[in-house]
Amino acid sequence: MSGQTFVWKGKDVPFRSGESIAAALEAAGVFSFGTDTFGQDFRYFCGIGACQGCLVRVDGLLREACLTVARPGMRVGSPEDGHD
Amino acid sequence: MTDAEITVIGAGPSGMVAATTLSKVGYHVEIIEQRETLGGAIYRQPVESAMAGGPAAGSNARWKTIRNAFVKQAIPVRCGTVFLGIDGDGLVLIEDRRKGRVERLRRKGVVVAVGAVEKVYPRTGWHLPGVSTAGGLQVMMKETGRAPEGRVLLAGNGPLLIAVAAQMARLGNPPAALVEAGDPFGHMATGVALLKHPALLQEALLYLMDVYRSRIPWLRGAHVTSIEKEGPALLVRIERKGLEKRMSVDRIGLHDGIRCNDFGLPPETLSSKDAPVVVRAGDCREALGAIAAEADGARAAQRLANILSGSAEASGLDAAINRTRQAQDLLARLFAPIGNVSPLAICSDETILCRCEAKTVGDLRSLCQHLHPMTGREVKLNGRFAMGACQGRFCADNTASLMALMNADSADLPPRAEDLTGRRWPVRPVSIAALTAAANPNTEKPNNEVEQDDAS
Repeated sequence: MSGQTFVWKGKDVPFRSGESIAAALEAAGVFSFGTDTFGQDFRYFCGIGACQGCLVRVDGLLREACLTVARPGMRVGSPEDGHD
Repeated sequence: MTDAEITVIGAGPSGMVAATTLSKVGYHVEIIEQRETLGGAIYRQPVESAMAGGPAAGSNARWKTIRNAFVKQAIPVRCGTVFLGIDGDGLVLIEDRRKGRVERLRRKGVVVAVGAVEKVYPRTGWHLPGVSTAGGLQVMMKETGRAPEGRVLLAGNGPLLIAVAAQMARLGNPPAALVEAGDPFGHMATGVALLKHPALLQEALLYLMDVYRSRIPWLRGAHVTSIEKEGPALLVRIERKGLEKRMSVDRIGLHDGIRCNDFGLPPETLSSKDAPVVVRAGDCREALGAIAAEADGARAAQRLANILSGSAEASGLDAAINRTRQAQDLLARLFAPIGNVSPLAICSDETILCRCEAKTVGDLRSLCQHLHPMTGREVKLNGRFAMGACQGRFCADNTASLMALMNADSADLPPRAEDLTGRRWPVRPVSIAALTAAANPNTEKPNNEVEQDDAS
């Protein structure tokens, strides 16, 4: 274990080098990434960047959790958390 | 550094073979890939320290051959980069997702190799957290070396479900059940025909042995009809021979086949007068899987090289592709769903059809009750079906098929998925800020601005 973490909604989430944000969140037991304007959850679905269902906000930018590799200290939140 | 003449989009097997082939005949090629690693979904690489997720030995050997040949050519790779389309000036638009920067590239040729997407029929609750595609579970296992935790149900149609079940079993958590719409045991003659494809048959038997050894219940001729939240778990209703069975699970993997990921792609071009010349390779041209994708990557590269050099067009598809198509046809017959009722016909009105825009089967029904049946495009513009962020990748087929069922007495041609999605860039969502920042540096000023400058 490399002991690296990123921040998910204020909490540290561990990850292994090269792991996607989606994989690290799954390991941490996080399955809902937030809700869209219709009240539906953002969640992991296709795993290949096609469905846009796993969007999260990474350091202020909307990104697919399944495509984006976790990096130490990255600030990750729900899409509706807005820019910070 | 010499600027690339050809950009290959997608570093799965077809893209990597196409890039290698073009580089070998002397073209300056680059490859762009949305992830940080090569291999595509089929050869998704495990992260550091992850146990290999159990790809079969044959699959591993194929990957090593593709990778070694690719590495030998020293082809530049742009990772974390997505293809947006080809603009009106014939420039290739890509976005570097790490920098949030869009670039416009002048190229002689483009090979589009963006693979396949899974088909998933709607069932009530298919959009809930904890429900993903079965392929989504599979790529996650390849990446992390871990099986999904808890009680997992796999459901839908086709041989991929068995492969995912076997991989889960090898990683220590076999699925709670496998729900299959077809019944391969009911087609013995077709099964015997698979003997002509020994490699495929061997792979299938190995997976089946894992399924039996782990005592995974395989419910054939069965369908998941609904999924609902039940505390932290998911309550699933399964219909089989008119009887309902209920299960409580933590995760669900759905899969009803694969199709080309050809949404919004620029059309292929046939002549060197077109700049850039665009060819498609692999599953985004015809969804036949990894082995055909390799052969098709080489075929597409040869075709592009022929067009660019002005030599005669290569003749059609090669034998490997035809052979895989025959094998896929056999598998489709073997796994043909039991019964004549479309899974779309039994969806309740509350079932979400287009998740991005939260549009339901009932919403489509009210659009289809108009006196004059709407076209696919009208359903998109009036009803927002296929208008959201996935650009119809997971709802356009289902919406078009359901429209055909609802307008069964119409004399019009049944709608196609493409009638709903249209064909335009950007192929992927991109921020307007990134697009406008890219538009300027190489764009000539409009004439009226030049005149104003002269006058001042």
